[in-house]
Amino acid sequence: MSVVSPPLAGGGLVAFARDLAYRVVAEPLEFWLHEVAPTFSLSETLAEVVAVVDETPDIRTFVLAPNARFRGHRAGQWVPVDVEIDGVRVRRCYSISSAPGGARLSITVKRVPGGRVSGFLHENARVGAILRLGEAQGDYVLPARAPARLLLVSGGSGATPNISILRDLVARGAVPDVVYLHYARTLADVPFAKELQGLAAVHPSLQVVLQLDDGPPRDLAELVPDFADRETFLCGPTGLMDLLRRRWAETGAIDHLHEERFVAPTYARVDSGKTARITLSRARRTLTVTGAESLLEGLERAGERPDHGCRIGICHTCRCRKRSGVVQDLVTGAISDAPDEEIRLCTSVARSDLDLAL
Amino acid sequence: MQTIAFTPETPPTEDRAEAFGRELDALRTRTLEDLGARDVAHIRGVIRAMRWFEAVGRGLLHFGVDPVTFVLGSASLGVAKILENMEIGHNVMHGQYDWTRDPKLDGKAYDWDTSCAAEHWRHSHNYEHHTFTNIVGKDRDVGYGLLRVTEEQPWHPAYLLQPIAALGLALGFEWGVALHDLRIDETLAGKQSFAELRERSRPFLRKAAQQLFKDYVFFPALALWNAPRVALGNLLANGIRNLWTFAIIFCGHFPEGTRMVREEDAREETRGQWYVRQLEGSANLEGGRWFHVMSGHLSHQIEHHLFPDLPASRYPELAREVRALADEYGYRYNTGGFFRQMGSVIAKIFRFALPNRAPRVAPSPAP
Ligand SMILES: Cc1cc2nc3c(=O)[nH]c(=O)nc-3n(C[C@H](O)[C@H](O)[C@H](O)COP(=O)(O)OP(=O)(O)OC[C@H]3O[C@@H](n4cnc5c(N)ncnc54)[C@H](O)[C@@H]3O)c2cc1C
Ligand code: FES
Repeated sequence: MSVVSPPLAGGGLVAFARDLAYRVVAEPLEFWLHEVAPTFSLSETLAEVVAVVDETPDIRTFVLAPNARFRGHRAGQWVPVDVEIDGVRVRRCYSISSAPGGARLSITVKRVPGGRVSGFLHENARVGAILRLGEAQGDYVLPARAPARLLLVSGGSGATPNISILRDLVARGAVPDVVYLHYARTLADVPFAKELQGLAAVHPSLQVVLQLDDGPPRDLAELVPDFADRETFLCGPTGLMDLLRRRWAETGAIDHLHEERFVAPTYARVDSGKTARITLSRARRTLTVTGAESLLEGLERAGERPDHGCRIGICHTCRCRKRSGVVQDLVTGAISDAPDEEIRLCTSVARSDLDLAL
Repeated sequence: MQTIAFTPETPPTEDRAEAFGRELDALRTRTLEDLGARDVAHIRGVIRAMRWFEAVGRGLLHFGVDPVTFVLGSASLGVAKILENMEIGHNVMHGQYDWTRDPKLDGKAYDWDTSCAAEHWRHSHNYEHHTFTNIVGKDRDVGYGLLRVTEEQPWHPAYLLQPIAALGLALGFEWGVALHDLRIDETLAGKQSFAELRERSRPFLRKAAQQLFKDYVFFPALALWNAPRVALGNLLANGIRNLWTFAIIFCGHFPEGTRMVREEDAREETRGQWYVRQLEGSANLEGGRWFHVMSGHLSHQIEHHLFPDLPASRYPELAREVRALADEYGYRYNTGGFFRQMGSVIAKIFRFALPNRAPRVAPSPAP
């Protein structure tokens, strides 16, 4: 996500001028642009919610009007979304559900029970709300030469990248032989059901297949007999994905299976006595620390020289970004388990394997 | 003489200090858990006020022709610089808003509108001064290497001139702070090599050049025929800010009754004893809400030293609890009005210009 990032210290006249321009021009300008209109920015991709659509009882689409910094997306890609919840900026990724090309984009969010961001969006992202976006990314996209036979499989909110792919094909007037298969509890839980029905009516090469929990259970081979011969895009809950993945593996068609996972793998917890593996993703080194020492001590013991000052948690010199894994703060006892959280090495201990941006 | 720099007869007893420290830790944790939208709203509000003061100040300086708009413009710009340096820069750079994960409030990335290089400041202030607070010989903020503010600093005839030196430091305080980090004194004493001094000078020269260019070339040039007026206005605004920050900062650790510590007494100190040293080595200023904001809440130097990374706007409410705890545990809580504390600092500057009169360690009033 590109935010105006203060230039790093360095030498030279160019760096000097850049620093100065940042402090004297860019920073104040950014402030005044924001005073004029909440989505004006030269450095941030800000988007206004212009419509909210209920797709199912717990899935909602947010139509967004981004500022000019948004550089568009390819069907199937996702975008990082930052929201501020009680003063804290939190980021989650959402697949874009709209077709590429328009001035607007939409994300479709399922409300996860107890979910921080999905709950926040459902409750607070009304028309007029401003969201911060990153750049669209991901390689869950159609290959350059669209496959002749396609299968889009999804469950729950996993329908989002698939509907984008389908909408894109429709918009380009190039709907090949496509099967759109969706798993849901009931018909009311199928997002975009009406639209799918309408599309199937006008595009004879599109077949929409629903497998509902309240209907008779049918095997994949019954639903889509030629599934192994189709270029397949699979996105859904972990259980469903693991189950289906095995079918492709069995038939030897795994190369034709594209997958998108919404939920990160869970981490095995490390107790104070055990060791955890630390990946330093910038330095490209791995090492082990124990769950009984601070990360700072552990890293130093392993020969690393991380920045630090006070070693007691007050100066923030040792702050670094934890890309993944679980740490515990020794002073407050607080657990940090979300990805991309800032931690202090001198007061944190590893509670799982970690990836640190060092 | 009433106050003595050391109170070795009442070393914080281990248990008392530890219990006190645990209470402060709990207070810190409670506050951390409570941080939220209102803290962000506060700092963004101050940033907004700063930008408006800045715009109004620059507008008056650039487009006005009369002395009234000159004075108002300089004052408004001075207020903007004070807000930026104190409530915004100093506090953001402490990491007080790191928890928001807003890149604009990122303590490691922020750079402030003074000639002191941010990376120097983060090291010498956030780490050294806040860790080794008031340890004579380790905390280089004790007298800023220029002034003698405790009898533990050996006297030298040059200190006779320190009232004048103090005035100079006050007027050019940002330069005092910026040069402070070069440790020229250490090089002169042979403790730092010239190569190291050269290395240290780099960020300083860079930042200093930027500031000078910005205030005395860039903005004046924008004002065309009004250039001299704008340059002078900037000088005045910087001067106002310098005097104010000097006063606030000197009132933080040097008023009568703050404790200085010997290096050997602070060795192997526990977390609780660290808290006690911070409490007894700092002094508060009393005043209204805007006085506190303009001081960057360094009017609550005690709370700032106990909790340097909690948002400063929380200090007034923390102060009530800290004070009650200090009373309960029998630690000194030094607070007073601005003029009283400033008066006692000025008195010290004059008093310590002369050699010590009293024996070096004398009984002090029990806390
Ligand atoms: C590439 C990518 C694309 C994504 N696209 C979408 C999308 O289009 N629509 C969408 O709704 N979500 C999507 N997600 C998931 C989304 O990023 C969030 O993880 C989700 O909204 C939950 O966040 P939260 O803050 O509400 O829940 P959290 O507060 O993070 O989690 C609360 C609890 O819910 C569990 N949980 C988290 N995510 C899920 C989930 N997806 N299903 C069930 N339980 C979960 C957690 O383990 C935790 O126990 C995508 C994720 C990725 C990585
Ligand atoms: S080293 Fe100072 S906060 Fe970690």
